[in-house]
Amino acid sequence: MNDQMTTNSIVKLDSVVKKFGDIFAVERVDFEIGRGEFLAIMGSSGCGKTTTLRMLAGLEDPTDGDIYLDGERVNGKATWDRDTPMVWQSLALFPFLTVQENVEFGLKMRGVSKVERIERARRWLEKMQILEFANRNISQLSGGQKQRVALARALVTEPKILLLDEPLSALDAHLKVRMQSVLSSLQKDLGITFVYVTHSMSEAFSMADRVVIMSRGKIEQIGTPQEIYREPRNRFVAEFLGSANIFTGALSRKTGVYWTIEAPDGSFEINAGKVTNKNEGDSVTFIVSAENMNVRPTGSQPNGITVTVVGEEFVGATAILFVETESGAELKIQKSHDEFSSLDTRPGSKLAVHWDPDHCHVLPGE
Amino acid sequence: MSKRPSLFSLVLSLPLLIWQLAFFLFPLLFLVAISFWTVRNFQMQPDFNTGNWVRIFTRSAFWDAYLRTFCLAAASAAITSAIAFPASYAISFKLSERARRWLIFVLIIPFFTSYLVRVYSLQVFLSDAGIINALLGKFGIGPFPLLNSTFGTLVGMITLCLPLVILLQLFSLNFVNRDLVEAAHNLRCARFRTVFLVIVPSAKVGLVIAALFAFILSFGDFVSPLYLGGGNPPTLSIMITDITKSGQQWPRAAVVALTMIGTLLTVAFLSIRFAYRERGE
Repeated sequence: MNDQMTTNSIVKLDSVVKKFGDIFAVERVDFEIGRGEFLAIMGSSGCGKTTTLRMLAGLEDPTDGDIYLDGERVNGKATWDRDTPMVWQSLALFPFLTVQENVEFGLKMRGVSKVERIERARRWLEKMQILEFANRNISQLSGGQKQRVALARALVTEPKILLLDEPLSALDAHLKVRMQSVLSSLQKDLGITFVYVTHSMSEAFSMADRVVIMSRGKIEQIGTPQEIYREPRNRFVAEFLGSANIFTGALSRKTGVYWTIEAPDGSFEINAGKVTNKNEGDSVTFIVSAENMNVRPTGSQPNGITVTVVGEEFVGATAILFVETESGAELKIQKSHDEFSSLDTRPGSKLAVHWDPDHCHVLPGE
Repeated sequence: MSKRPSLFSLVLSLPLLIWQLAFFLFPLLFLVAISFWTVRNFQMQPDFNTGNWVRIFTRSAFWDAYLRTFCLAAASAAITSAIAFPASYAISFKLSERARRWLIFVLIIPFFTSYLVRVYSLQVFLSDAGIINALLGKFGIGPFPLLNSTFGTLVGMITLCLPLVILLQLFSLNFVNRDLVEAAHNLRCARFRTVFLVIVPSAKVGLVIAALFAFILSFGDFVSPLYLGGGNPPTLSIMITDITKSGQQWPRAAVVALTMIGTLLTVAFLSIRFAYRERGE
């Protein structure tokens, strides 16, 4: 299997399985990570993302399958024999050492001389803009400063890959965004691989080159943030991202470049180019993103349905209107406040919703 | 949210307060007082006589006993901690939750038997004709003077302290953040080194307090130095009983007792300050 590995990938997981007792934490996971890539592994808790990361770090050993790091099969190789530093969710800084001693720790373990150790540690502290805190106790630092110490400690040994396990989850929103840009620019400057585990879509999508979405130990989709956002592979991914409306129906007839779909809430048209390997009578699931939904006071529209308002939520400059179809399906419409201002959006009022057949995306995995 | 203690909390702490006043603070003050009294015709008389302090502090026998007791207690604390640590580490880091609970129960069992009874049974083991020397004799070695020696005293003291020290160490090791251990491994610190570079510093407070308890118990111990150590040359506890028996010199015994209390307070204060000392600014 190793020879298939492209020279550009630094990590390769080949049908990796991890069981704890009888429970599959990770079930047959395959993917590769390119050199210098920023890969995010995303999913809700218990999906296997942290276990996958820990197997890369050597903190867990796979039950089955192979893991390759830089071309070498590393199953059974202890974490202290690998070059896979990790940043913990708890940061795991040593409270009994000063900031500088924390950063020096990895160098000391490698037998780097004291002079060089101090020089390299201080260079990294400076790079992370925390040199002034070098002699502080860890408990004297703020959340963001601790974050920078943890990064300096992991990166001071100049690894080819950095593993991050939800490192920003304890920070407030403002600091989180700032640290995201620190991480992004750091990764670009160093040109090394970052593997970043998170449950947060905004973190994953704003930083990563590619995102792996996991659920119940399996990979649901791998792709760039744009690919995943625009073309989720299946219902799980679409629901996980949470920004699209999902419809299921049966293909009934093809007219020109459009298929007509019979769904519980009416018949809709979708661009036939988006339907592959399906025939008349087959079931299809398609999504329309919340911002592609158009809304009017009343009146029937082609590709439209009548809905009842359930509630409204303000999200910055836009609002999300939560509505319900006659069959009880829940839909979302996201527009600017202006576009909603001419409508009666009180709960219970009726509205007409429609969308462009070209704005539908058919889920290939359903 | 006033900082003043409420009536409720005052009532709750009342039993302890009364107990400590009646059985600790009052006897302590009384001890200080009688250390200045005078003994005439085997009768104690209230007085302000500093002669007792001068008398004790100028006797080299006292300082010999003081040094001996201090060294015995320090050795007991060090050896007990060293014997206990591998066991505590293994129980805390290598065993399942269930096995750990069972072992903690097993460790409490020695407390079920009176210390004095255990020391008497140790005499059987350690005497010249005892079990250990009999076994060694089969290989043509010995007999060794295990009883009525420093060795005997230390065996008794360590037996006394070991269960408590393991329990205290265990509880502090259980609170060591496991992420720190993994982080050390991840930074290329292998298992053995991690114990000394990460686990011991993380559990420092508990380990120091465990050793401190061993020191306190051993420093004041009377049973092991007498029944296993032979009582001669004496430790401070034995010296106290000797002084009171010969000529009813309670005031001089009080001086020895107060010196012991002062020593323990100093050692406790210094150890706790060491335990909580933090690195960096």
